[in-house]
Amino acid sequence: MAVLSIPVERYELDNGLRVSLSVDKTTPVVAVNLWYGVGSRNEREGRTGFAHLFEHMMFQGSEHVAKNRHFELVERAGGSLNASTWFDRTNYFETVPSHHLELALWLESDRMGWMLPAMTQEKLDNQRDVVMNERRQRYDNQPYGDWDEYMQAMVFPDTHPYHHTVIGSMDDIAAATLEDIGDFFETFYIPNNAVLTVCGDFDPESALGLVERYFGEIPRGEDLPPLPGDPTLEPSIGRTVREVVEAEVPLTRVYMAARVPPYTDEGFYAAEVAASVLGTGRASRLYRSLVRDRRIAKDVVTFAFPLTTGSSMFMLWATGLPSVTPDELETALDEELQDLVTVSEEEVARAVAMTETQFVRGVEQVGDRADMLSMFDRYFDDPARLNSEVDRLRAVSPGDLKLFTEAFLGTDNRAVLAYVPKGAA
Amino acid sequence: MMAASFDRSEAPVPGPIRRFDFPRVTESRMANGLDLRIVRAARFPIVTAMLILDAGEWAVDSTQAGLAVLAGDALEGGTARRSATELAEALEGIGAGLGVTTGWDATTVAVSCLAERLGEALALMAEVVLEPTFPAEEFDRVRDQRLAAIQQRAMNPSTVAGDHAARFIHADGVPFGRPVAGTEETIEPLSGDDARSWLGERYCPGGSGLVIVGDIDGGELETLVEGCFGAWSGTVEPSDPVAVTPRHERRRVEIVHRPGAVQSEIRMGHVGVSKVTPDYFSLLVYNTILGGSFTSRLNLNLREKHGFTYGVRSHFGFRRNAGPFGISMAVETAVTADAVREAMFEVETLVNDGASADEVDAARDYIVGIFPLRLETTSQLASRVGELIIYGLPDDYHATYRDRLRAVTQKETTEAGRRHVRPEEMSIVVVGDADEIRAPLEALELGPVEVHELA
Repeated sequence: MAVLSIPVERYELDNGLRVSLSVDKTTPVVAVNLWYGVGSRNEREGRTGFAHLFEHMMFQGSEHVAKNRHFELVERAGGSLNASTWFDRTNYFETVPSHHLELALWLESDRMGWMLPAMTQEKLDNQRDVVMNERRQRYDNQPYGDWDEYMQAMVFPDTHPYHHTVIGSMDDIAAATLEDIGDFFETFYIPNNAVLTVCGDFDPESALGLVERYFGEIPRGEDLPPLPGDPTLEPSIGRTVREVVEAEVPLTRVYMAARVPPYTDEGFYAAEVAASVLGTGRASRLYRSLVRDRRIAKDVVTFAFPLTTGSSMFMLWATGLPSVTPDELETALDEELQDLVTVSEEEVARAVAMTETQFVRGVEQVGDRADMLSMFDRYFDDPARLNSEVDRLRAVSPGDLKLFTEAFLGTDNRAVLAYVPKGAA
Repeated sequence: MMAASFDRSEAPVPGPIRRFDFPRVTESRMANGLDLRIVRAARFPIVTAMLILDAGEWAVDSTQAGLAVLAGDALEGGTARRSATELAEALEGIGAGLGVTTGWDATTVAVSCLAERLGEALALMAEVVLEPTFPAEEFDRVRDQRLAAIQQRAMNPSTVAGDHAARFIHADGVPFGRPVAGTEETIEPLSGDDARSWLGERYCPGGSGLVIVGDIDGGELETLVEGCFGAWSGTVEPSDPVAVTPRHERRRVEIVHRPGAVQSEIRMGHVGVSKVTPDYFSLLVYNTILGGSFTSRLNLNLREKHGFTYGVRSHFGFRRNAGPFGISMAVETAVTADAVREAMFEVETLVNDGASADEVDAARDYIVGIFPLRLETTSQLASRVGELIIYGLPDDYHATYRDRLRAVTQKETTEAGRRHVRPEEMSIVVVGDADEIRAPLEALELGPVEVHELA
């Protein structure tokens, strides 16, 4: 029996906006979640970080909503709100007490349809400063904070849209203009490039009426331009790429990455289960070997990025205990990757059991659930796929993992990035 | 620009408010003193069980600082029946993650799993807590990991700032002045014997509570819990009181020199107030206005007006004893003094002039409204119910929570702030490049400025 049975009704407005409604009256709260099909992959040369800066500008008011009013109204309603930018998409979301559903729809529709009249140079200057401080705080003033800049550049060629990070470079952030804002809005922030999910305590009929009222008259936009650069990729890096960074870090850390099938490909399930067998929990292979038995690592982390353009990225890292060298860590990680071909039924079952619990916990809140429904709508044109996702993970066999390991986790498809404490090398 | 077909300029009128009741908590006490609280929440087939132990770091002698945290970490090292690896396999084989969290007031051991696995998960949780063996090899490994984590903290500007602020705010001997997980000097000599004797004193059913939330059948549950925890015995002795006293009476600026830093990590704070203060609800409102929400005075000034920071927050560390009050932010090096000046301006203005009626309304509405948003998951509910046990709060606490917030007045808000926020007593701790920021900070004339080298 499926562990989840989340109801979803799906609609599409005349302007192309896809709408998913998922009712759950357990708690009187409702989530509104929008995924726009735009992310850092859509940024042109010289404008890295722009999709994220744009996301900040979406909170600076719109024609009928003054600056700060968006936050004031949602907070006053007792709601929470935020947004995030990622390689392939940008999402905006709020969870509010259910009698404030209309407020959330009004705010989201106003910035989808009427953002530009509220844009000013002063607001752009302010948010550029905020984003530059975000970059300083999270990347530049943070041990290992810039790892993804190195890693993305090693895994994806400079022609590929994943070559640069979501946060972008300081110079590019500084170069953004109001004209860029206008172009980006007209190109990407259109109803036919968005999916909207409403999840929680509401009446579907009246909610659909409200969605139609607030979003229905926003005109459909033009088809999206092709991605900049060359989104096609060889399935493998073709060799081991390596880099050593001497930095203000306390402990040596080795990152490894590989190209793996994209999230939308059947082959990605094996990547997810492999990440779990290697790194989820204290019975996982890397924890057991590097942390518990050999005592060379302080921590290990694995994950499979859900990316859609050409390839996705399989990632792991190990932080060394003091005096452990990057070579020792790399050798140990390499042995474990090679050894994954011997994975047992029991290990796969354990990994799936852990993933299943995490998956159910991951949809307990209407906000998280709405985000998952938007994702499955956006990437698979099928929000209800959420209910059967665990079954697809369960279907992964030790044989599948062996094939996956042989195809993707060898030294011919690998990026290795080592951070070494300054002065210790 | 596109014209709207109707007047979009007015915010929609909210619909009829729907009632929210905190879920019913069934309470009982086992013969050995364990306080059992059960909440049925059946939206998803999942359960969280959370054991609340009166074993917080506050009760640890300063010579062994970090013992409570380390003992909690080392529970994963195995039991009388299972090695560390066998234990991990047993838990993860049923999809159960076991997490141990140790703070100043309590150690919590929590497990979440599919509801059909609760019996097995609870038995394993009991085994971990009642029969841990702390084998030397495992204990030493976990201690080495903690020591490495301390080295990591020492190079992260944000944790450096937090740890220094705690030290500069509190007088010597106040536990809150030290890092919650201890220091290299206090952790290094600890052994499995220390953990065993700590557990003997503090992991007792009398003084502890077990909260179970999820898709469960209450009737069978008591039998199950009795089977797992019935043989456990003992009661926690209350620890000696320690007064929370400040290191300094007057405002000071402490710079922790980090040459070449692109940002300054700033903490501004002083000794705060206990969770059980009668001013609790007024202070929730006050803090929301000052720096507890996106539209707070601090954030609108420092982020949305000046762009000095990605975000700024103020926070009361409500604990059993008076935890610190503080403001935290990371700002670009060049605007460090400007940011401190603006933050001090907002604090002083709010203390001096008080909060406006509209601000109090908005803040109250925010905290009242957001309450059910944070009670959606089994682990959120378990944590909330667990607070009743940790802080000895009355059974009707959550049922009356929102009414008590709604009753907070403008006058109470302003007066509570004046009692508990004292700008002239703040320690202002700045981790950044002293060569760049010292002179501008001195020019603010907030008090003596001292520069400390990064340890």
